[in-house]
Amino acid sequence: MVETGGGQLTRVGRRGREWLERHALAVVGALTAALLVVFFFYPVFTVLLEAVRTPMGWTGELFVALFRSEFYFGWFATLVTAPGTAVADAGAWLAALLADPIDAIPAVTPGTMGLFVFTAVQALLSTVASVVLGVPAAYILARYEFRGRETIRSLTALPFVMPSIVVAIGFVATFGRTGVLNEILVAVGVDRLGVMYTLELIVLAHAFYNAPLVARVTTAAWESVDASLVETARSLGARPQRSFVDVVAPQLVPAVLTGALLTFVFTFLTFPIVLTLGGFQLSTVEVWVYHEVQQLDYGEAAALAVLETVVSLGLTYAYLRYEAAQRRVQRAVRPRDRRRFRAATPLARVAIAGYAAVAAVVFLLPMGSMVLASLTDASGPTLAHYAFLVQRQTEAFAFQVQPFAAVLNSLLFAAGTLVLAVPMGVAVAVLSTRGGRGRRLLEAAAMAPFAVSGIVVGLGLLRGLVFGVSVAGHRLQVTGALAIVAAHAVAAYPFVTRNVSPMLARIDPQVVESARSLGASRIRALLHVELPLVVSGVVAGAAFAFAISMGEFDATVILATGGDYYTMPVAIERYTGRQLGPATAMGSILLGVTAVSFVVIDRVGGVFDRG
Amino acid sequence: MRRRRFLKQVGGGVAVGGLAGCISSPGGGDSDPLRVATYPAFVDAVSTEAGGWVKQEFEARYDRELRWFAPEQELDYFIQRAQAGVEIDADMYLGLTPTDLARTDTNLDRDLFQPLDTGAIEGYDGVIDSLLFDPQDRVVPVGTSYVSLVYDAEALDAPPTTFEDLVDPAYAGDLLLSSPDGSQTGLDFLYWTIHNYGEDGYLDYWDRLVDNDVRILGSWNAAYGAYSNAQRPMVVSFSTDQIYAVQYDQPMHRHQVGFLDGQGYAYIDGIGKFANADRPAAADDFVEFLLEPSVNAEIAKRNIGQPTVEDATLPPDLQELTYTPEERVLFGYDRLKGNVADWVDAWSKQVAGS
Repeated sequence: MVETGGGQLTRVGRRGREWLERHALAVVGALTAALLVVFFFYPVFTVLLEAVRTPMGWTGELFVALFRSEFYFGWFATLVTAPGTAVADAGAWLAALLADPIDAIPAVTPGTMGLFVFTAVQALLSTVASVVLGVPAAYILARYEFRGRETIRSLTALPFVMPSIVVAIGFVATFGRTGVLNEILVAVGVDRLGVMYTLELIVLAHAFYNAPLVARVTTAAWESVDASLVETARSLGARPQRSFVDVVAPQLVPAVLTGALLTFVFTFLTFPIVLTLGGFQLSTVEVWVYHEVQQLDYGEAAALAVLETVVSLGLTYAYLRYEAAQRRVQRAVRPRDRRRFRAATPLARVAIAGYAAVAAVVFLLPMGSMVLASLTDASGPTLAHYAFLVQRQTEAFAFQVQPFAAVLNSLLFAAGTLVLAVPMGVAVAVLSTRGGRGRRLLEAAAMAPFAVSGIVVGLGLLRGLVFGVSVAGHRLQVTGALAIVAAHAVAAYPFVTRNVSPMLARIDPQVVESARSLGASRIRALLHVELPLVVSGVVAGAAFAFAISMGEFDATVILATGGDYYTMPVAIERYTGRQLGPATAMGSILLGVTAVSFVVIDRVGGVFDRG
Repeated sequence: MRRRRFLKQVGGGVAVGGLAGCISSPGGGDSDPLRVATYPAFVDAVSTEAGGWVKQEFEARYDRELRWFAPEQELDYFIQRAQAGVEIDADMYLGLTPTDLARTDTNLDRDLFQPLDTGAIEGYDGVIDSLLFDPQDRVVPVGTSYVSLVYDAEALDAPPTTFEDLVDPAYAGDLLLSSPDGSQTGLDFLYWTIHNYGEDGYLDYWDRLVDNDVRILGSWNAAYGAYSNAQRPMVVSFSTDQIYAVQYDQPMHRHQVGFLDGQGYAYIDGIGKFANADRPAAADDFVEFLLEPSVNAEIAKRNIGQPTVEDATLPPDLQELTYTPEERVLFGYDRLKGNVADWVDAWSKQVAGS
């Protein structure tokens, strides 16, 4: 009896395993869909619906009003409301452009620009700046061998975790009136730069955040260029420039565009950095979403957010179509050898040194200045700001945010995010790699978490999950640690997908098919054949997923309401006030903890890569 | 006082005993914690946190636990709960301004707060009359100050003294403001310009301010932070700034207070009892506690403000650092109700479009 029972159990167990093995991808896919619905689509839709729903019924009036508003659409609105003026403005604009093109450049449109066009223009400028600053970094990291290369590569995502308050402090300490840069300029006899509260500074801050993203994605692509292809081209007589254009560039362009797309979407939805480093005069659409929510005018906030989403998801969809068209199958890749830095030509060495100097000012100085600010006050070096943190740890009341708990929570949530987001991201990448046009739409929808207004997501989480839903007389609430991890994972997995998907698409389908024909289940083929080929993409995606969780503020602070789930960014925000010191000390701890984590992630990932 | 409280406790006990007969789980039990909501800075701010002291002192004096709750969205959290039809889950809110009350009443079709039985609240008579801003007695003022300029005397030869000075090219690029979207200070400054230039003229005045390169940042924190970082020599903040400077050893020349046109805009915040508070008696106790002169003065000192009751005074060394304008400007509840959103909207479109 016992044996039979045991045998049955084993059989049941084996069947269960077999079933799981056959359906593992579908299970992870279904889990992803479920989390997306609970932590994203449902809460967001409840808010966005207010754009078209009034107590009186359904209406499109809000959108009509938006499109007719010169405030939002500038000259384009006057095309509808005052065509005569619009034509006259266009004529004057063209005349000015023809008379003096350089002088007319700032006038992007005839008449007034409007909030949407301004937002798009600043996002475009930020994207260009991020690509210009990011691609050379990718080149150096992918093509040169030098001491500390792997560590620098691991740390590229660091700016990504810095909460905007901390970036603002770092930027003010660097580029402000009495900032480090100005002190250096004065010391060498040059006039002070007045860049505070300008569009230029906002663009630079956006590049600080996003150039590392461009660099990381591009580095991965550059490293996967097949050496034999380049060698073949060269042996057939192609000069280095020619082999770059014909062989290397086609593989880099999709990666650079991925980085550019992510940057554009991020900066199109930018919010806190604008109000801190720029000021209300440089408002973007997202500032206006915040404004309407502050006025408790959810209808207009929702309508604006819908338009933002149409732009960002539309771009994402167009990009995915392009990416799919670019996909080409590649057989096993033999990485090229990196050049020794010393072997570089003098010209290359000067260029690299010049770039390093610029990168030091844009990336290192703001972070370094913040750490410096945490160790000084008006009278010189001090540990007082860290002493405050120790005091908050040891003497704080239970209802206050405590530093160590914040560090611990941040690490736990980020680890949980990794555990969820990596399988989710890979599953979505696999499920969408092969397939037709419908899949592109689905893939775009799966990218939605990073394409929707953060303020709307926060409002949705508050109303949908924290306040809860009435189900059969019970109020169903979703808050606390697990909810925070799930929300982070939903925000983070698109980065895994975007890093993995293009690499996965280059794998020859025949490789997978032959594994399947030899009896491997789909999941085994994935784990043993495909994943080992795309480890670098998974690791890059994992680093960004970790970074997203570490730096996340909006969803965390809402889902942590009333509980003890505060993270480092929340602690930083709570510790700001008349004195900036304690916030910079907490910010430095955030930087340190994240830096160590990144190195660990890359080393662990590296082990898999070699194995 | 002690005898009174004793009687009250006995009375409370009896009442609960009576209720316990009909309700199985008494929500307003005598030993239940009093749940007081407030803005995060009141309990968590680095330099000026008053929440811990208030909790300890109240619990020691009244033998009842006080539980703070400080949601990030501040009062909007509760307005949104009410809009969503979810129970409020708190007894009181500390930090209510006239604007808060006007917005609440404009956006909700039921009362979020209930009128207080002011006759029964000991110490209510001592509240400075001019600070009472709610015609329906739902809010008792707890803290006050004036919105004013704070400037660096070493960076400015002579501080501006009028609104017209602020638009003078001599002060171009000198002023930091916080946005009315993200701060009460920003709103109060906006009301102040409406008071002086009228509803027809304030937008023109703001045009001139913007032309003179003022910077409007997202929050009071951001504006004051940029000021303390010496980005600009003046910021719109509070007239009680020197109470902070002296307590935290800051150089006094960077904490000079300036009024405009001899005026200061009165900042007032207070405490209110939610309409459905589970512990109404304990809530009244808390109001009495906050109005006790020694408590009222201690909170003012810790929260960098001024007391709201006549018998409360800051310690002499701090008292001499507070400033009073010749003229006080304040938009009351009736002036604000129904107008705030329109003013802010018009202002925002004007400034963001520039």
